[in-house]
Amino acid sequence: MSRHLGPQNVFMDRFVLEPKVQRVWDIPHAVWFTLMGVGGGLFVLARALELESDVGTWLGLPFVELLSFAAIAVGGGILIADLGRPLRFLRALVNPGTSWISRGAIADVVFVVVGGLLVLPDLELGGSRPFDWLPWTAAATNGLGRLLELVALAAAVVVMFYAGQVLAEPRAIPYWHSPLIPAQFLLSSAATATALLLFLQAVNDVVIPAGHCWLLAGFLALLLVLMAVHLRIDADHPGKAESIERLTSGRYRTPFLGGVVLVGTILPLILALVGVAWADARDVVSVLAVLCTVPAGYGLRLLTLRVGIFPPVRTMVPVR
Amino acid sequence: MTRWAMVIDTGRCIGCGACSIACKTENATPGDVWYAPVIEEEVGDYPDAHMDYLPVLCNHCEDAPCIKACPTRALDRRDDGIVLADDDACIGSRACMNACPYGALHLFEGRTGEALGGGARTAATVPDAGAAARYTPGTVQKCTFCAHRIDHGLEHGLVPGLDIAATPACVVTCPAECRIFGDLEDGESTVSRYLRERGPATVLRPDAETGAHVFYVDGSAR
Repeated sequence: MSRHLGPQNVFMDRFVLEPKVQRVWDIPHAVWFTLMGVGGGLFVLARALELESDVGTWLGLPFVELLSFAAIAVGGGILIADLGRPLRFLRALVNPGTSWISRGAIADVVFVVVGGLLVLPDLELGGSRPFDWLPWTAAATNGLGRLLELVALAAAVVVMFYAGQVLAEPRAIPYWHSPLIPAQFLLSSAATATALLLFLQAVNDVVIPAGHCWLLAGFLALLLVLMAVHLRIDADHPGKAESIERLTSGRYRTPFLGGVVLVGTILPLILALVGVAWADARDVVSVLAVLCTVPAGYGLRLLTLRVGIFPPVRTMVPVR
Repeated sequence: MTRWAMVIDTGRCIGCGACSIACKTENATPGDVWYAPVIEEEVGDYPDAHMDYLPVLCNHCEDAPCIKACPTRALDRRDDGIVLADDDACIGSRACMNACPYGALHLFEGRTGEALGGGARTAATVPDAGAAARYTPGTVQKCTFCAHRIDHGLEHGLVPGLDIAATPACVVTCPAECRIFGDLEDGESTVSRYLRERGPATVLRPDAETGAHVFYVDGSAR
């Protein structure tokens, strides 16, 4: 039900049958979703590409993984601050059976704790390593280290994925109710994390392999395809039609088509392909790719939230 | 097993809003929180235009998406099918609000005491029940099917749907008798008989597949 702009009379508001835009989640949630995706993506890709120790350290710890933990912690902090009752946030861990927020919150905690434990042996304080007695290595070269790494990686993947699934699970908002939403968020996270890794390699004078540019191009190309498919599927469904209209011809046309799609996805895709073909350009490509993909990742999530529309509640299908 | 349900005959509704006010009075909801609004729709073009009215409320769904989405189990369904929100467990994530296809959940953003009647659920028929129960700021609120009236009535041998004191306030207040309440599992209850005699019934947003327990019939169509 939606409330009209003004009250009908002094006693009660007026409710009109029309599509209703969700206004429950906005900027804080888009920031939260973005930081979770990028944070998880940085850890997963740095480990997958075995880059964690090559792109800088701080106090002996891999800078990229510290960045990952910080992104998750800040993202979680923003979510907690936005809760109606922030001091009760630990209760969010109690319903993983059905709630993706609960599953994600658990994954956040597991990721930061287990990931933090994993890298702890490399911590350097005053020229010594006070935790090098721990029976595993940060590089996960023994069994226990590999187990911790596996748990941290699994949690990081859930962290990347769950924000989209929070939106996709319920059927209330048709634009959100699609596996293509978490898939888009996942690919956007992977693309942004890859761009950041390219940038960190460039900053640390590490030669960027062509394969990493291919990886960025691949993530962006897939993201582009999924966005296009999502805009085409069920495009006339009540609720989703209004969402698509807002994105493609309404108030969000320029930020979505011009910002997220063109500057945030197609341009870095072309740049990544330039990087594949021209090794000397890869440092510049990495900088531009970060400048394109980070705002686009945030924009994709914010616009996805802002075009979440409930269709009118009335239908006339006999059920009983 | 009891399954409380409501039938709303839209053909009878005159759009007076008495149900909305009765609900607000009974539950003392905060100013901008309406558990039982009446949605208006302009139908047709002049001179053949008229208003349609659609009373809505929480559908107390069998497969309630709000319960699934809640990270804290603050929302739960009783054995009789009534879905309730627990102020003490709610963290105000609002996940339930975006999961509900009916817009039936509301965040109380104000301060304690802002709500009508000093923020207390007044529970008109249960004088002692309301005093201790105050809306907690930052938590989600929703229609309870007037569970306090049902429970109080059952304790005193009354039949919800038949006896006024045991029936939701919106139902007993409706001057057009467009709301019917009762046990869906009892074949002779008021709702079961109404659905049998006045059907077919519809639910809101059937695409959401929630197993809604609020049914709509249009008696004026016959």
